[in-house]
Amino acid sequence: MAALKKSGSFVVFHWDGKLTDPQDQAFANALKNRRFRTIENAASEEISSGWVTAGDPTGDSFDLEDLDGGAGTWLRFRIDKKKMPLKWLQIHRDAAEKARGKKLSARERRELKDDLMEKLLPRVLPTITLVDALLYHDRKTVQLFATSKTARETFGKLFFETFGTPLERANPLQSGLRAQIAPNLKQELERLEPIRWPRAEKAGELARALKRPSPARAAGDDGEADA
Amino acid sequence: MKQQQQDQAVETHGFLGEEFLTWIWWRWETDGGEFTLPGGRVVGVALDDFLSFSATSDDETEQTLRRGLPTRTAEARTALRQGNRLRKARLLFAEGARQWSATMDAPSLTLTGVKLPEDAEECETDMDRNADRSANWLALHEIVQGLYAMFLKERLAPGFKKGGAEQMAKWMAG
Repeated sequence: MAALKKSGSFVVFHWDGKLTDPQDQAFANALKNRRFRTIENAASEEISSGWVTAGDPTGDSFDLEDLDGGAGTWLRFRIDKKKMPLKWLQIHRDAAEKARGKKLSARERRELKDDLMEKLLPRVLPTITLVDALLYHDRKTVQLFATSKTARETFGKLFFETFGTPLERANPLQSGLRAQIAPNLKQELERLEPIRWPRAEKAGELARALKRPSPARAAGDDGEADA
Repeated sequence: MKQQQQDQAVETHGFLGEEFLTWIWWRWETDGGEFTLPGGRVVGVALDDFLSFSATSDDETEQTLRRGLPTRTAEARTALRQGNRLRKARLLFAEGARQWSATMDAPSLTLTGVKLPEDAEECETDMDRNADRSANWLALHEIVQGLYAMFLKERLAPGFKKGGAEQMAKWMAG
């Protein structure tokens, strides 16, 4: 069995509503419906993404025990990208121009590229990225162990397509709204303004500046004004 | 649309993450950095060897301090005195014998470069190790959430500006 990483970065997501219990076979079946499909033999530039498990990176099987991540459910998805290596295009173009003794026209270059894509892409292996996530069903929370935009967007899309539930990325506002604080404090959150710490070169000037009424308050505004 | 709303939330409330990180620094320096989280969980937090300050306006330069003890440097004190908020910092978290380190990007509350505690000695199989690590990943998330809730309770309290904010201002000026 693969090992869960012990270092790295993560982004937190939450969902609202109901999600199939990860201990149910229905959960594994849902992953299977949106499983990874290979593009190994594809003859065009393609990107493929889908669920696999830590125990089987092909996406062929979804055993419940492979989803067991201890405190959470271990999700893994795979992103394969097949792209024509630019160096190969350049080499073939240079060779054609040398043989011809002059530069290729734009149309000839396009035709050469199409021809090479058809011949070479089935032989080009895709790059593989495996991304892990831990899902905590009772907390409606997922830790995604990647921070890139591609990984975040692919994960959000896959999750939605699989479970029909959108994910919401944690941020200072969302985390505050989900924090264990009184409801009246949560209401304050959305209209909160930053504290404008005054510049002070001398000790104590900051504190004195904070005590001074802000222009908004001097004008009679009692809301959360700049300090 | 959803993505836009999320980006907007980081944009509109990113300052709160920066205030949170600055608050951790303040509590660490003035109170020792020990926090009792809801449920009686006691954790220690300290700032480590990386600090990055956000500029107070678009025209100003961002400042990054690395290695050694950046919180003790004159540059860090000056940045605080100038009213700059902390945008990123390397943090150490401890609970009992377990210790984590991570860099927090305050505006998004994302943790990068996380290092989990060593695997527990009792771990004999891959499954044991995975269970131990997932418990540690979850614990780190819970610690940060617990600290953030503590910060929000202070920050959103009606008397914050006359209490905590004033004390923070004195510390920043000191």
